[in-house]
Amino acid sequence: MPDSKIVTRLTEIVGQRNTLTRQDEIGAYQPEGARPKAVLFPANIEQVSEVLRFAASESLSVIPAGSGTKLNLGNITEGADIVLSTKNLNRIIEHGASDLVATAECGTLLSEFQSRLREQNQFLPVDPPHLLSGATLGGIIASNDSGPLRLGYGTMRELLIGLKVVRADGTVFKGGSKVVKNVAGYDLPKLFVGSLGTLGIIAEATFRLYPIPESSRTCLVSFDNLDNSHESVMSLLKSDLVISSLEHLSPALASALGERAGIDVKGNSYTLAVRVMNVEKAVRDQMKTILDLCSKAGGSGVMVEGEKEEKLWEEIREFTSRLSGPGGTVARANVLITDVPGVFRLLEGFPERSGIEVYSSARAGNGVVAVSMDGEREALVSSLKELRIFSEERGGSLVIWAADSNVKKRVGVWGNIGTSLGIMKRIKRNFDPENILNPGRLV
Amino acid sequence: MIPVLKIMHVSPPESKLKSPDGKKRFGAKLLDILGPGGVISSADELIAYDSDALTGYRIKPEFVVLPENTGQVSRIMRLCYEENVPYVPRGAGTGLSGGALPAEKGVVISLSRMNKILEVDIPNERVVVEPGVVNLWVTNAVSSYGYYYAPDPSSQIVCTIGGNVAENSGGVHCLKYGVTTNHVLGVEMVLPDGEVIETGGKALDRPGYDITGLLVGSEGLLGIVTKITLRIIRKPESVKTLFASFDRVEDAGASVSGITARGVIPAGMEIMDNLCIRSVEEAVGAGYPTDAGSILLVELDGPVAEVEAHMPIVEEVLRKNNAIQIKVARDAKERELFWKGRKNAFPAMGRISSDYYVQDGVIPRSKLAEVLGNIGKLSEKYGLRVANVFHAGDGNLHPLVLYDSAKEGEPEKAHELAGKILEVCVDSGGSITGEHGVGHDKKRFLSLMFDENDLDTMNLVRCSFDSKGLCNPGKVFPTPRTCVEPGMKPYRENPIQKSGLGEMY
Repeated sequence: MPDSKIVTRLTEIVGQRNTLTRQDEIGAYQPEGARPKAVLFPANIEQVSEVLRFAASESLSVIPAGSGTKLNLGNITEGADIVLSTKNLNRIIEHGASDLVATAECGTLLSEFQSRLREQNQFLPVDPPHLLSGATLGGIIASNDSGPLRLGYGTMRELLIGLKVVRADGTVFKGGSKVVKNVAGYDLPKLFVGSLGTLGIIAEATFRLYPIPESSRTCLVSFDNLDNSHESVMSLLKSDLVISSLEHLSPALASALGERAGIDVKGNSYTLAVRVMNVEKAVRDQMKTILDLCSKAGGSGVMVEGEKEEKLWEEIREFTSRLSGPGGTVARANVLITDVPGVFRLLEGFPERSGIEVYSSARAGNGVVAVSMDGEREALVSSLKELRIFSEERGGSLVIWAADSNVKKRVGVWGNIGTSLGIMKRIKRNFDPENILNPGRLV
Repeated sequence: MIPVLKIMHVSPPESKLKSPDGKKRFGAKLLDILGPGGVISSADELIAYDSDALTGYRIKPEFVVLPENTGQVSRIMRLCYEENVPYVPRGAGTGLSGGALPAEKGVVISLSRMNKILEVDIPNERVVVEPGVVNLWVTNAVSSYGYYYAPDPSSQIVCTIGGNVAENSGGVHCLKYGVTTNHVLGVEMVLPDGEVIETGGKALDRPGYDITGLLVGSEGLLGIVTKITLRIIRKPESVKTLFASFDRVEDAGASVSGITARGVIPAGMEIMDNLCIRSVEEAVGAGYPTDAGSILLVELDGPVAEVEAHMPIVEEVLRKNNAIQIKVARDAKERELFWKGRKNAFPAMGRISSDYYVQDGVIPRSKLAEVLGNIGKLSEKYGLRVANVFHAGDGNLHPLVLYDSAKEGEPEKAHELAGKILEVCVDSGGSITGEHGVGHDKKRFLSLMFDENDLDTMNLVRCSFDSKGLCNPGKVFPTPRTCVEPGMKPYRENPIQKSGLGEMY
């Protein structure tokens, strides 16, 4: 079918107002420079289904998107005939406050979802980056993106209990349910968390929620060296404290964040940001214990609360995009808790050896290290490769979240997926035999 | 208009075990792999494996095999795959939905000899185990370091981690700490054709699809796990347990959602109705008031200051919902006694009824009062007693339908009543099973929750793993589904079509 007819048909399905076709309009919706024939904003799940049915019949590749904050995530796309944005699927369908569950369409902004839940003093405890620039529920599920709160609450994997998905052939199905405990049939929601829109377009999702804790406080504790800060991490984890977030900031990041959040942080030192959310007295008691434990290892701390605390966590959440420029490289090293110092030591050497700028923060209780890098391409490539070897040799992984396409090609986004790659490919083939959904991005 | 492929039902491949000759040759090959100590084939020994804890269904397997390592599991499964022999994985056999019921003319693969704890990694908060390790052993292995393994099914002193993975088991502390899937980080598994793969692992966020997440709760239909990486968590600083008694079970139900509405998430909340209380009291003497219509057990845990701040809130909610008596356990011993009553609710039931049927439905917490009322009405209509004991915080009901198998027609009536209860659960927005799985027993109800599209999608998953349908066949899904996927185009042959397993119509 000629392009003009394809565009006409797509426009018929979603309506003129919800279709972009002109080059100047498409602007922000061009995954890695690919030029889609059309960007569509369907108004409801039926339209999504119809678009996919048509795309499948014409073998048109479809890139699912929300606001577009993760449009470049994954391997370089093998095709982008249509960008399908779920931005208009943004209704909050149900908030069962007494059951601590809520259902929303997946184009709903996380920020909007949170303000609605806050009315009942509840929240969805995820804090991935891009909160203010438009992260949607669907995009967070599809990428399994997460932030500092995951220590206390987990990722979308632990919070998503039900979903409605449009399969590549347009079939609409649901998985899971609206109750937290449900073991009927396969746990399909899990399969879709982190699947990067390659198995279907998530249209609607149900989450388990948590009450907003009565009180919250954070302490920032600086140390003279990495050994001491890591020793404190281990003693905090071994204690019976209930910590919501525990970030281990590299010296460069600690200084930069201190400046941005207006907090007096000791220069050039490894720093822990420890957050406790609980009833007021428990917060107070635990803060004292945390400071005691840390000072035993030579740390000195400041307490942060109120607006400053919010600002600090916003900066930690968003540092990967704020501190490296638009073309900056963002990666996550997923290693064991005890390998975090090794990652830091490796990163420490990069600026000196190859002149790149590196900021990093470890979700210290999870072994997930967020890294942003900026600098000359060759240096970035060799640094990322070294970091990958280090992580994989210790049973972990290194995933590139953002990088220029040349760096991606040379380093590889995912690294070694391992022995389950075969079964992943079979699942992809069965769900999407025409390979139209986000082709090539994941497996 | 694009024609859509429909699921086509074809007969499963012919098992080599159907002929006496084939069986003999197959048995010899099993002996080759496992040696005489690893293969059971005598009729009287096989009887021990003809059902799991749901003894109403029994099928005698042709062979039971007891592999000791992953290599042997892989060789057995490859052999079965080549010879079209169906097989069923089995842990301790404590399942209550017939999930480990043997397949006709099939093999039972028992993982009971693969029962080693392979690694305890305290600094990284991980334990790696073989599937036959008993749930409680994990906690025992780490408790001296101040850690425990959170999912605690009532059968935790006997049930195995492999079985927990298959069923995504829960327990009394799931309300706050999640079920098995929230604590399994990776597995080594053998695919139905014998290939050994690893998914997930000790480090988080492995790239690719979450195969581990898909596997947990798949009831043994996708392969057999041979190694499991678990997350362990710190023991809480303090624990407080109380029970409150009520005239009406509905008031206990309303208290549950009342407590969470106040922002308190207890570690566990359990309800028992009068029938249960009476039988339990007689059996273990937990100190429950036998004249109460129901009791609610509440356990709070966490930092001392948190528990102390939440306790008065809980008591206030209980009183507002007409609690008659509130009793807080004074010490660990009394706390244990409170729980002993709850944990013995099923066995104690034998004192008031010769037979009972355990149901396992889930409802939204806020509908507890309403649903319990409806169950009461059904009980009256069918003229059978229903005792209620359940994980109230999760809305996970365990109605026990009491009957007498000696009375003609009563078992059938009980079965029908149990089914009606599930309809009530699904109508309220819930699920047909919260922790025991669908297995053999509840597959007829699966379509209450899922329509054709939902089930077809699950079938796509099944076919990705097991195109021959040999791994725990006949379980979970209501009708025999073969691996013909709904495709999209009439002119392009589907991979499964090509392999001759299905056709389009």
